Amino acid sequence: MKELFPLKQVMGFVFSLVLTAVALSVVMFDMSFAMGMTILLITAFVQAMLQLMVFMHARETEDSGLILANVYYGVFIAVVTVFGSLLALIWGYM
Amino acid sequence: MEFFERFAIPHPSPIIYASMVAIGITLLAIIAGLTFFKKWGYLWREWLTTVDHKRIGIMYLISALLMLFRGGVDALMMRAQLATPEAQLLDSQHYNEIFTTHGVVMIIFMAMAFIIALMNFVVPLQIGARDVAFPRLNALSFWLYFMGAMLFNLSFVIGGSPSSGWTSYFPLAGNEFSPSVGTNYYMIAIQIAGIGTLITGINFIVTILKMRAPGMKLMKMPMFTWSALITNLIITFAFPVLTVALAMGTMDRLFGTQFFTTGNGGMDMLWANLFWVWGHPEVYILVLPAFGIYSEIISTFAKRNLYGYKSMVASMVIISLLSFVVWVHHFFTMGQGAMVNSIFSITTMAIAVPTGIKIFNWLFTLYKGSIRFTVPMMYSLGFLPIFTIGGVTGVMLGMSAADYQYHNTMFLVAHFHLVIIPGVVFAMLAGLTYWWPKMFGFMLNERIGKWAFWFISVGTCVAFFPMFISGLDGQARRMYTYSESTGFGFWNMLSFVGAVALAIGFIIIVYNIYYSTRYASRDIGSDPWDARSLEWATHTPVPEYNFATIPEVDSSEAFWDSKYNGHKLFKGKLKEIHMPNNSGVPFIMSALFFVLGFSFIFSIWIGVIVSLLGICACLMHRSFEKDHGRHISLEEVEKTESELRGGK
Amino acid sequence: MKLDHSQPLEYSSEQGRLNILGFWIFIGAEVMLFGTLFASYFTLEGRHGSGPSGAEIFEIAPVLFETILLLTSSFTVGLAIHAMRLNNKKAMMTFFIITLVLGLAFLSVEIYEFTHYIHEGAGLTVSAFSSALLTTLGTHGLHVTLGLFWGIFILIQVAKRGFTPETANKSFIFSLYWHFLDVVWIFIFSFIYLKGMM
Repeated sequence: MKELFPLKQVMGFVFSLVLTAVALSVVMFDMSFAMGMTILLITAFVQAMLQLMVFMHARETEDSGLILANVYYGVFIAVVTVFGSLLALIWGYM
Repeated sequence: MEFFERFAIPHPSPIIYASMVAIGITLLAIIAGLTFFKKWGYLWREWLTTVDHKRIGIMYLISALLMLFRGGVDALMMRAQLATPEAQLLDSQHYNEIFTTHGVVMIIFMAMAFIIALMNFVVPLQIGARDVAFPRLNALSFWLYFMGAMLFNLSFVIGGSPSSGWTSYFPLAGNEFSPSVGTNYYMIAIQIAGIGTLITGINFIVTILKMRAPGMKLMKMPMFTWSALITNLIITFAFPVLTVALAMGTMDRLFGTQFFTTGNGGMDMLWANLFWVWGHPEVYILVLPAFGIYSEIISTFAKRNLYGYKSMVASMVIISLLSFVVWVHHFFTMGQGAMVNSIFSITTMAIAVPTGIKIFNWLFTLYKGSIRFTVPMMYSLGFLPIFTIGGVTGVMLGMSAADYQYHNTMFLVAHFHLVIIPGVVFAMLAGLTYWWPKMFGFMLNERIGKWAFWFISVGTCVAFFPMFISGLDGQARRMYTYSESTGFGFWNMLSFVGAVALAIGFIIIVYNIYYSTRYASRDIGSDPWDARSLEWATHTPVPEYNFATIPEVDSSEAFWDSKYNGHKLFKGKLKEIHMPNNSGVPFIMSALFFVLGFSFIFSIWIGVIVSLLGICACLMHRSFEKDHGRHISLEEVEKTESELRGGK
Repeated sequence: MKLDHSQPLEYSSEQGRLNILGFWIFIGAEVMLFGTLFASYFTLEGRHGSGPSGAEIFEIAPVLFETILLLTSSFTVGLAIHAMRLNNKKAMMTFFIITLVLGLAFLSVEIYEFTHYIHEGAGLTVSAFSSALLTTLGTHGLHVTLGLFWGIFILIQVAKRGFTPETANKSFIFSLYWHFLDVVWIFIFSFIYLKGMM
């Protein structure tokens, strides 16, 4: 039975629950918008990295360089698209 | 009866009725011909169900040429209408429909198909592979594209064409200002073709990354393969944006959502923003493979290896990233602040740098080369100056302050045609002529080809240079007519003359294909150009398994080395070969997508449900299917090989 | 077929390795798909016209519940793959079934959530905000729904055919897909709900 629950994945799961709880703190406590966003950005991206490395086994094969390069490229462009759109459509008018 | 009224053309004219008849007759002729010559079985077995990348490439090619004809006729009609002031050939609605379909057909259904055609045929051969990574998905890609293209062209005769420009800006494209189903066609046909393109992107990335011949490290890939890799990378990350934008546009039109409306918080400029987040990378999707083709052709016909291989690769990687950070330059006049415009002006000018590096690399390759003026080489040499003019005017447009003057004028139209025609069309014609012998086993006639080249290149200059002047004088794009007092008449007449020259050029190419099919020698060997990369190392015609033994490579020009420097390409012994099975599922599934799209366009919900269930059934069938492909026996391989060798 | 026995079963065939890399690249495209949805949502977030805003309709309890359901299902599908590598078919199928049941529970809560929003006056056609919200959530929900059907197909194949290079490969790819949906949900949870309620 024990062999079915590898420590690494169990710890990953516990850690992801902890991160969720930390993220939840932004609505539980009164804090500034900047502070809240900082917490959310950190917890969300750490959580994503956790899934990627622990659960998705992104580093286990000979292709891991390609896989990670591809994911990072996608994330980079997605972030550029999100912030670029906000810049062009909202912040650019301020 | 009420049910059928929705299919009527809202704004008919004799031209449209004539095309209805023409389409009907053509369809009947095709069906009758296939039945009479008993070719239905052949068509199904050899083409509709094929998963062979070479055949799929050829089907893409035929579709692209058909779409080139359709888009070209649109272009001629526009130029004819504008040739004289206050002409009556087309009314404003028809003119709107024609410039819309011209843009969509040329970009999405012609240029994209053409580059994918050449990638399909050439890339697996260039890397020494037997097929792509996912042959069946490749067939699905083609059929989705094909059904999307057919659906879009159907708009002409059923329900009316889209008329809000190839960019389909909201609120013009919304229900209020475009009440006909035309814009539904736009949203859904491009969506279907776009899904096919996205699948191609993933397929070719995996193919190029994982299926290269032994010894072919990334930095030893031929330049066309490099350009295909980067292009497909951009496809994979740009097309999802289009998918989302089109889905939102469709929902606005069919389900009453408020994304791009002008009330209830909707934001019409969000469409423009998303469209160009996809649209600008799309420009590089089209032009990078063209750069790859020019690199192959220039080094082959200058008899020199490509100058600055590493900088060529680096510039493409930089372009792939920068292409995603410049999109706002398409709407500098939206009203955002100077800060935003400045940022995107700078990124825009930055992207000209890697492109410039490539131009210099080609020039240095030519320098001291022993140049052979073949047709592909002439297109490449014609490309350099004309493209540079198009590119430099792009930098002018990229300066946001100056752009207020150029925006939406014929200056812009001149700019992007002078980029796309030499950058893409010349490259496609050059690539077609260059790889034609590998595809079909004979060469296109050089003398006729040169006539076509001169008509096309001079025609391009005559057609588009005048637009710089009339644009700076204030002629807006997309206006269906103008008064005599504007003084635009002369320049537009000149453009019309150029357009006719271009058309003559294309007719000469068609004649060349006919002439060469009848008279050209079939005895050309497998390497008629004395070329440098692996696609020329196999036989002509290419056997279905491409290479009987997988070549081994130690440089980016392994075939050249094997001819002149004593490199041994084929070391292994013949073995039996594993190949994928043909499948009818991609075709059937895409046909269901056609029904789905059509039903969506006309809001026939029962059709939507039935075709969706059919698509799910196809997916399920695929999931449960056990298909391990088939083996070509050793005897069969030996027989084919000796026949092909004897044929030389 | 050439098999490489030094690797886990899902990587053992050439086609299997291509499939896995291909799926990773597809995930890259999906990152961009959701990135675009997020870009649209953030742009339209404050534009709720005469309809309610996010702060007025979001409820923390169902959202937190959905988050925990999906996080747990992501954990169990990971365990299923681990069990598959131990060649324990029974455990693998058990974890797989738990995953799908959790996915179904997630969907049920999401359907409740949607009816709640419509009840509160934030239907699909009310405002740019409500259109963007329901489309973004709906796209994720649609992915989960498709995943449920796909997962059932794979489960049937594992039950009938046991662990072969193909079924192992499909199960592994399904797990990638499922983890990815969890990642997307984390971003929805953080930047749509929590940010909206902050």
